[in-house]
Amino acid sequence: MAKLSNRFWFKLHGLFSLPIWIIFCFVCLTGTISVISHELTWLTNPDSRASNPQQLAEKPKSQLVDIVQNAYPTASISTVMSFESYIANTVIFTDSDKPYAIAYVNQYTGEIQEVIQGLTFKSFMRSLHAWLFFPWQNGYSIGYYLVCFMAFVMLGALVSGLMIYKKFWRSYTQPKLRIHQGKKTFLADLHRLAGVWSMWFLILMSITGLWYLAQAIMWQNDIEIEAHAPVVEVSQLPYGVADVPVRPYSLADAVNIAEQKFPNFKSTYIMLPEHFRDTYKVYGEGDGIFYDQYSYGVTVNPWTGKVESERSPEKMNALQTLSHIANPLHYGNIGGLWTKIIWFIFGALLTGMSITGFLIWGGRTVKAAKDTDNQRSIFSKVPVTHLVQQDGK
Amino acid sequence: MARLSNSMWDRYKYKVNGLVLILSCFFLYKNLFPQFPDAWSTKSIGSFEVTPMPYNLNSPYMHDGTYTKDFLLLFSQGEVADIRQAYFNIGAAPLSLADMQDADAGILHGSQHAQEVHAIAPKVIQADHRAWLTIENWQGKLKTVSWAIPKNLHQ
Repeated sequence: MAKLSNRFWFKLHGLFSLPIWIIFCFVCLTGTISVISHELTWLTNPDSRASNPQQLAEKPKSQLVDIVQNAYPTASISTVMSFESYIANTVIFTDSDKPYAIAYVNQYTGEIQEVIQGLTFKSFMRSLHAWLFFPWQNGYSIGYYLVCFMAFVMLGALVSGLMIYKKFWRSYTQPKLRIHQGKKTFLADLHRLAGVWSMWFLILMSITGLWYLAQAIMWQNDIEIEAHAPVVEVSQLPYGVADVPVRPYSLADAVNIAEQKFPNFKSTYIMLPEHFRDTYKVYGEGDGIFYDQYSYGVTVNPWTGKVESERSPEKMNALQTLSHIANPLHYGNIGGLWTKIIWFIFGALLTGMSITGFLIWGGRTVKAAKDTDNQRSIFSKVPVTHLVQQDGK
Repeated sequence: MARLSNSMWDRYKYKVNGLVLILSCFFLYKNLFPQFPDAWSTKSIGSFEVTPMPYNLNSPYMHDGTYTKDFLLLFSQGEVADIRQAYFNIGAAPLSLADMQDADAGILHGSQHAQEVHAIAPKVIQADHRAWLTIENWQGKLKTVSWAIPKNLHQ
């Protein structure tokens, strides 16, 4: 096989990253901020903090629902979510004067610290990063595909970069960053050093990005990765009764069922029934650290107490496993705050690499443009007759 | 030395990049201030008064093996809790409750403040189609009401 020249790899490296440089940089930057979006909310909004000076035990989610329901008697609560232990739980509801509201409820004190309507910082950042706010129609968003396409860009830039940078492994043992030999040398060293040290991160982002692309194709083609939770058989609903019947099994019962089923289960996402044939959906995290916070869970029939469907890593097929491990690997929340910090640092490095790469290319292009201009001005000063004579030689 | 190319793409590629990001701002604005089509007329069905509103004027889309069109239904009279089950479908005639209750396609869901539905629809909405709402209450009484479909939804 013919050996490909350095010039070829260099050109390929530029082709991968340069044409969409601005979008690539933007996606890296928004992703980096998204990694710590909860923590930034915690820093900037005291009402989002789950302060617990009295070291109280965490209240069950059903109690948080009751607290919000008592405070807003006409509210209809749909969802309860929990995140890191230092962030308040969110209870999502609608009310006669609120089409969509999020209550920050301190899970230790039970205090409703704030009710917000509209977009949160976390939702804003993640939507911006994942699909650039391009609209969704029929299960797809052009923005989502555009962002997923960055996985190819990253993978191509990584492979071609490594082909250019021979013996790149020396950067681990003898890192080189020359800061006193001019801007061009400094930028080139910084770009190469950051690239080699971020290799694992680039591979991880590329692979998860390719998975998101596969997922998008499946969404658009109506291929289900996870089956919808079954509905309650209509025969199980009371019939011919005078008053609205009360469901015999409560949310607390549903959470208890999930806790008994999975060891170390912690509910993180609960959906209450949206109609009388709907189930309680109780999802959470368990022992598998690489799995997301929705990897364990049950749907519980509120009329019979029966578990209608069950989710756990042991019962997942390959696609379901990928869908539940992709986010923790992409956003770095596999080990809490510390892994988020690591992901943030490497995200910042990646964003920086897209900038240094452009600056290196820009420097070379500007120099080339100047050289061309100089040549043109030299030729313009030479008499035409002389040029003709030169050509005729 | 880097080689300069002066193709159309080379001249405008960064402007195209920037334009995509400007589009993000535009779509964010559209997201924050959504515009919906006109709501349909309010109709009575049993003890309820209902006003449907399509979310958009797009054709039905395939979801879970069924062509679907999304609607918001506002109940200005009657308690949503009094509904045992209710379904919305588009077609020449209402689908029978016996058929619809086998699954959850077209079932009304949400809260007393607003109900949503992914209505069962044909692939192509035609002039002779209507939108049908079927409600069963806890006493087992069944009621159906229908709306003519505005021309802007016909294909």
